[in-house]
Amino acid sequence: MKIPASVWTQLKQTAGEENVLADEVSLSLYSYDCSLSRTRPDAVINVVRAQDVAPLLKILYRHHIPFVPRASATNHAGSCTALNGGVILNLAGLNKILQINTRQGYAVAEPGTITGDLQDRLAPLGFFYAPDPASERVSTLGGNLAQNASGARCMKYGGTIDHVLGTEVVLPDGRELYLDRSQGGPDFIGLLAGSEGTLGVITKLKVKILPAAKHIKTFLVTFPSLAASVQTVSDLAAQGIIPRCVEAMDQVTTRAVEEFAHAGYPLDAQALLILELDGTPAQIAAQEKALESICLQNGAQKFIPAKTEAERQKLWFGRRAAYAAMARLAPNVMVGDGTVPRSELPRALAKVRKILDDNHIFASLLFHAGDGNFHPQIVFDERNKPETVRVTRALKEILQACVDCGGTVSGEHGVGVEKRAVMAYQYDKPTLDLFARIKQAADPQDLANPLKLIPVDYAEKARVAPALSAQEAPLARALQQGPCVIVGANTRQKTKASNRVCSLGLNRILEIDKTNYTATVQAGVSLRKLAEALAQENVFCLLPRKDEGTLGGAFASGCVPDFYPHVLGLEALLPDGSRVRYGGKLMKNAAGYHLTRLFAGSQGTLGLVTQLTFKIFAQPVPAAARKPFAPAEGNALWRAIKQQVDPHGHLPPVPGETHE
Amino acid sequence: MNNFSAPQLDPLHPRRHLQQLQTPFGARSVYDSISFCNRCGSCQQACPTFLQTAQEPCSPRGRNQAARLIAERKLTVSANRELLEKMVNSCLLCGRCTQACAGKIPTAQHMLELRRTLHTRALPFLLHTLLSWRSRRPARFGRWVKMGLFLRRWGAVKIGRLLGLTRLGSLRWINHADDILPRKRDRQAQARWKEFLAQTPQTPTMIYLPSLEAEFFMPQLACSVLQTAQNKHRVRVWTNTASGLFEYVYGDLRQSRRQVRRLIKRWEQEGRLPLLTDSVDVYLFLRAAGQLFDRWPHWQQKADSFARQVRFVTDVLPKKLAAPVSGRVRLDAGALFLREGEPFDSARKILRTHFKKNFVECFYKDADAPAFGYSFVRYNLAAHVWTQAVRSAARTQTGTVFTLSGLSALELGFYLGKLYPYAKADHLARLNG
Repeated sequence: MKIPASVWTQLKQTAGEENVLADEVSLSLYSYDCSLSRTRPDAVINVVRAQDVAPLLKILYRHHIPFVPRASATNHAGSCTALNGGVILNLAGLNKILQINTRQGYAVAEPGTITGDLQDRLAPLGFFYAPDPASERVSTLGGNLAQNASGARCMKYGGTIDHVLGTEVVLPDGRELYLDRSQGGPDFIGLLAGSEGTLGVITKLKVKILPAAKHIKTFLVTFPSLAASVQTVSDLAAQGIIPRCVEAMDQVTTRAVEEFAHAGYPLDAQALLILELDGTPAQIAAQEKALESICLQNGAQKFIPAKTEAERQKLWFGRRAAYAAMARLAPNVMVGDGTVPRSELPRALAKVRKILDDNHIFASLLFHAGDGNFHPQIVFDERNKPETVRVTRALKEILQACVDCGGTVSGEHGVGVEKRAVMAYQYDKPTLDLFARIKQAADPQDLANPLKLIPVDYAEKARVAPALSAQEAPLARALQQGPCVIVGANTRQKTKASNRVCSLGLNRILEIDKTNYTATVQAGVSLRKLAEALAQENVFCLLPRKDEGTLGGAFASGCVPDFYPHVLGLEALLPDGSRVRYGGKLMKNAAGYHLTRLFAGSQGTLGLVTQLTFKIFAQPVPAAARKPFAPAEGNALWRAIKQQVDPHGHLPPVPGETHE
Repeated sequence: MNNFSAPQLDPLHPRRHLQQLQTPFGARSVYDSISFCNRCGSCQQACPTFLQTAQEPCSPRGRNQAARLIAERKLTVSANRELLEKMVNSCLLCGRCTQACAGKIPTAQHMLELRRTLHTRALPFLLHTLLSWRSRRPARFGRWVKMGLFLRRWGAVKIGRLLGLTRLGSLRWINHADDILPRKRDRQAQARWKEFLAQTPQTPTMIYLPSLEAEFFMPQLACSVLQTAQNKHRVRVWTNTASGLFEYVYGDLRQSRRQVRRLIKRWEQEGRLPLLTDSVDVYLFLRAAGQLFDRWPHWQQKADSFARQVRFVTDVLPKKLAAPVSGRVRLDAGALFLREGEPFDSARKILRTHFKKNFVECFYKDADAPAFGYSFVRYNLAAHVWTQAVRSAARTQTGTVFTLSGLSALELGFYLGKLYPYAKADHLARLNG
């Protein structure tokens, strides 16, 4: 793509002459990230001031020039390559920590701030930032949000999506938007998480910081089978013990790591777990006893607590050295990233090992056992073309196996260009259509990181969607037919409109899964009935127990925002009568836009939520605070998405805009 | 025969290059070694120049990829010479990236290979010529250095600075040299050094190869090293002898090979004794001397046995040290190519044993001194890195920073004096008085 001379002048005037580069060396060196994808951009702009981003995007928008935001480019998915040419916006220079407020528990930083740097600044203050991707020493806060990165602490604390309180974002047309969780309405920060720069450029983040645990204890436990190790994690959850970290590796990996790092891992075990507890010494002591007994019940061969800090570091050293152990063997290490429901982990891992063996590929297998997230680390030499083809094919097969086990193609690394094709294997056409419409709404000219995330020509390749059920079909017809107002029991909205579409018919509790600790429930189920059913099974959820109304109402009205992070999957009917299906019993999902967050608090403006899958707990959890119903404040992004999803205005309009 | 079909940085001049690089995981061809970069970016935040610029061409990953693209003929040298020279010369060769890298990729060595491909002279012409005499015309070199020091004592440099002559591009290095070199002559140390030289033992058990700075500018350092070594050995000094490192880093690799061959021959003639050096850069270079002769197996064998006999000051420092140092101390691990391994571990152990809680462990992003004359290559960039090094010393309220080479001690001493006079820099060998 040729950038006109007049545009060069404008870009240079805005960003500074020395910051706009178009020489061959610079273009070549911004043509890659940590994936196999390589495409040369037409220009590179080093952004040195956050306020330059909006004017730069306005110039690019006026001249239809695509752009790709990029910071450390450590992602494994090919999210930072300029597939359509255009401009790379290098945000690595925006790396200042602007504010740390320990009293109110937040930090404000620029997107290029290294996550590890923030941790280092927080540590002396007795605080920490919970998301801990393995690359935290080199990856950035902005990149972590764009990819929805997470790490070993995810089981207890959640991923980046749950720890960003507010963000400043510049939309592809140059409009600036401040998004804050307190504004109500759909959780647009959740929508940005994992959007990989396709919806805009993040220019500032306000993140949650937490008091650091003063006491931590680490354990190494070995098991005779993978299934036993996974069952142990489920049993821990059942007992209400949520470890700070649950890391695991199989025997092949343990042997490779031990040969390299000499961390003292036993080599005879089929599976190895590293568990970490935090809290007060009394809490840790109590949990340790329960932990040991659960591990031994599941046939643990060895239960080794780290007695000193040095021993603890040694245990972690082996886990951290897993990548290095592979990196020394061959020029390339492809790190896969699939997530399945925790109960499916042994089956998925067996399938993965078979695929690797069938393709004659050597790989280590690490997994975050608490989240069902696994990372095959495949070593190969990209200069060897047949081998590269074999590895790429195997990775595709692995991801398909993962989807077959009810999983997702990405738990924390993102989709980018490398997993774009397998998205069609995971999602059906209406869901992919909705992804495309979200993208179209935020970026009508397809300038922001184009050709990523959404598969090309997916119409025929997309997963076949099951037919609508007898309960759903009339609701879909009603939505399709004309203006209507979506209600549940109408206890919050209290609308008197006559054209109501009511979800009360969707009143079945579909599944209470006590292995994965999830419940799948139709939206019309009343909160009372849900509480009773959960109580019968002796499990608990975050929703208020004695509240009026339906589950769908509590979710979509925006009255219980603390419940959003607990929602793992969703089905919804759109105004055109199609049904979208997103997520499931997955603790992590970084494939596609977070539809659960889009419909959360959307107040019936985008569609009718028919079914939710959410987390449940074995121990009582404090009920989430309930806010009174109030129409949320609209914003440009919400209105644009509404326009795309509901072009004929079948659903109520987005409330007035005050937070532009 | 040279294999022109294999990707190489400079297929037309194979002898100006190393064929294979020694890595912790065995010998690899230069192209293989470059190709082992997975672009994971683990090195980025370790690189002082990337931290300063936040730009890919100033990062280890960018440098490796540029080298790879050149070897694969996807980037032409002739069309991009200026930018490539800028990129190559921005590298500190400090090896922090290698330390951070899971695959231990020797990016610094790749940059030297690229520098040899570009046939670029990183140092100013006059300085380069002067230093190149050390191996080719040692006597002339000695005379010129002494003359330079004499003129400096009589104010020639001061006058040059007043007249603005040293602001000229090609003479700017004189400013920096004048800044870092000690203002006062240590006559006592010089006299002791001459005394030591006069007492050459008949049956030596060790050879001392003083670095340029120890021999000409820091006689107190040379005396300390010699005195320490003499506790256990009868030491013969090889005066005004180049190690070949200057040519390896800044000059022609063939000249470097010649010089190392000369050293090996002399070492063999004098009984294959252990060879002591006070500069960690020289130590690391000579320890890997074998890789210089990858085309000559006979010489490689000799170089390997020579390398095994090379010693650093940490090998001769006694367990109980004499020098009383008050306040907190830290180690500046600034060195060429590497920052981890034997000499660094030993140095840390010595300091930890001696100073216990007063020894400050370094923070992972703490800057170390740019090593082996980098300040003469990119003065401004180096000044920034030095400032970072001083800042980290100040943050930990360090009183003394110990370095592993005399030049680093001189340069860091200057920047500490300028920015944080509370602290001082000294060579580790000076611990023994």
